[in-house]
Amino acid sequence: MSIMQLNGGSVVAMVGKDCVGIATDMRLGNQALGISSEFQRVFPLTDRIYYGLPGLATDVATLRERFRYRVNMYTIKEEREIEPETFAHLVSSTLYEHRFGPYFVEPVIAGLSKTPSGGLKPFIAATDLIGCLNFAKDFVVAGTASEKLFGVAEGLWEPDLEPEDLFETISQTLMNAVDRDAYSGWGCTVHILTKDQVITRTLKARMD
Amino acid sequence: MECSFALTGKDYVIVAADTTAARSIVKMKIDEDKIKELSPHLLMAYSGEPGDTVNFAEYIERNIRLHHIRHLVPLSPSASAAWIRRALAQSLRSRNPYSVNLLLGGYDTAEDKPKLFWIDYLGTLSEVPFAAHGYGSYFALSLFDRYHNPEGTVEEGLATLKRCIDQVSKRLVVAPGKYKVKIVDKDGVREVEI
Amino acid sequence: MARRYDSRTTIFSPEGRLYQIEYAMEAISHAGTVLGVLAADGVVLAAEKKVTGKLLDLSASKQGGYGGSGEKIFLLNSNMIGGVAGLTADANSLVNYARSAAQNHLLSYDEDIPVELLVQRLCDMKQGYTQFGGLRPFGVSILYAGYDPHYQFQLYHSDPSGNYSGWKATCIGSNNGTAQSLLKQEYKDTMNVKEAIGLVLRTMSKTMDSTTLGSEKLEFAVLTLDPETKQPKAKIYNAAEIDALLKSEGLAKKDEDTEMKTAS
Repeated sequence: MSIMQLNGGSVVAMVGKDCVGIATDMRLGNQALGISSEFQRVFPLTDRIYYGLPGLATDVATLRERFRYRVNMYTIKEEREIEPETFAHLVSSTLYEHRFGPYFVEPVIAGLSKTPSGGLKPFIAATDLIGCLNFAKDFVVAGTASEKLFGVAEGLWEPDLEPEDLFETISQTLMNAVDRDAYSGWGCTVHILTKDQVITRTLKARMD
Repeated sequence: MECSFALTGKDYVIVAADTTAARSIVKMKIDEDKIKELSPHLLMAYSGEPGDTVNFAEYIERNIRLHHIRHLVPLSPSASAAWIRRALAQSLRSRNPYSVNLLLGGYDTAEDKPKLFWIDYLGTLSEVPFAAHGYGSYFALSLFDRYHNPEGTVEEGLATLKRCIDQVSKRLVVAPGKYKVKIVDKDGVREVEI
Repeated sequence: MARRYDSRTTIFSPEGRLYQIEYAMEAISHAGTVLGVLAADGVVLAAEKKVTGKLLDLSASKQGGYGGSGEKIFLLNSNMIGGVAGLTADANSLVNYARSAAQNHLLSYDEDIPVELLVQRLCDMKQGYTQFGGLRPFGVSILYAGYDPHYQFQLYHSDPSGNYSGWKATCIGSNNGTAQSLLKQEYKDTMNVKEAIGLVLRTMSKTMDSTTLGSEKLEFAVLTLDPETKQPKAKIYNAAEIDALLKSEGLAKKDEDTEMKTAS
């Protein structure tokens, strides 16, 4: 039993047409025993960035607190909100600082970044537990159901999905993947980030 | 073996823990209080490695008390939980980590709501409607799933707790004999006999 | 005689005074006015800007929201704003300290720092410089507007000695005596934020050295509760918003040409 699998949980992020989605399950377990079905592992950072931290739950909490600290200080001193690319590198360097005694999480970042022309461009990224960045153009997955997520996402995802279609795609991907994973499930939360709003929905999923 | 349970109700939290202090296969004491009163509206049940538990619980108790004296207002249950979690998470990556599992039940007087937190020795924190630690958790959590009522009265809550304790006594080979039960609500902390 | 005890902050004079502290206070009473009024549903802060002129580059402050022009009124935390009077450089260092302290509290307790606690943290620091090391004390007084669930909205004042106190309405900086007596006459316990904004602006217009009130001489901020989330919301006004506010309160700068014409 790897420490990455102790608490369970999975996160997936996908790119759409001028929008991004990030979805997660809500299980907190202790090996096979379920502790909570309301555990949060995806957090809002700004109005345009959400990030998920699947992995060891103690490190989920610790890193959330650290990222919030760093980003609050950045915002108040820079007098502007952080960009998703900048945040991705903050995540990466924070994790690599602990290269030889790592935090056991694999962060997933979804956001809309500003383009020089003033528009917004979808951005997703994921890192491993020591901060190796993976900037994907389609989707990223992480957590105990990552193998299954890869498979379903590969089959369902297509380019330029509108927000509602992206919602359907990411929801189906997550639900069908976690149903085949004993350590993920117990409810799902989906966030779709568009240029003028964030749609957050909790899914009625299998609770076994 | 050690068991602790806790559940919330309409405007209270019940926290229960067994009273056995054991070393290896021998019971050393059967009236040990393993639920600390951290502040006027906060209870903490602790279990785990003997020695670590009492030392860590006292460290938490004193620091929460010191905060209350210094700042006149007591820490809210959620702030206390965050601080205690941090203490455990830092300890986890130290030379000799504390091996202590906690249930933190409190009444938030500002929000007028009961609060319950499940915390383990890794520093995992989760706010839950009911919780358990130890072998008893395999029985208790299923019973809570079936019988827990978040709007229930104290009597109903105690009846649900009784189901857990009875089931553990009946089915667990290493079931503890006696439990201490404490309730926290808007009037503070009190102990009840079951 | 007194001069022999001037040079060190940490030494009492024979009359039992700490001259450097008193000089710091004196420096503050010449600084730009900062004024705060507490209402049941919010706190209002206003400050007089001293560094002005049309060659001053304010392009960085056009956005507003986070820190106005950043001379006198600062966002300290999501539940707190501070208005500073005195040496701006000293103030910047204290503001940085306050922001770090607030974030460290959030890190440890997962909740916003209670207002009085942050005031205490800054005052401990200020007090230290009146007792140790033979350094100069901070030449800064601060007004803090804040919100926490324990005591709701609060207004505090701290001075270079490290003393602090809570207020319903108060003023620091030049002409603070005049402003305070005006506030004493006009303050009512039943005031809401809108009335408090009016009181602040009227008092400011009477106490400031310049005859007219405009965004180039004024910084302004309000702390209220967001009606939807019930979380504290700090708003530091940008130049355009200040001018619009002054206009709606009937205190806007009059066009001098029209005034001249009507006079003649």
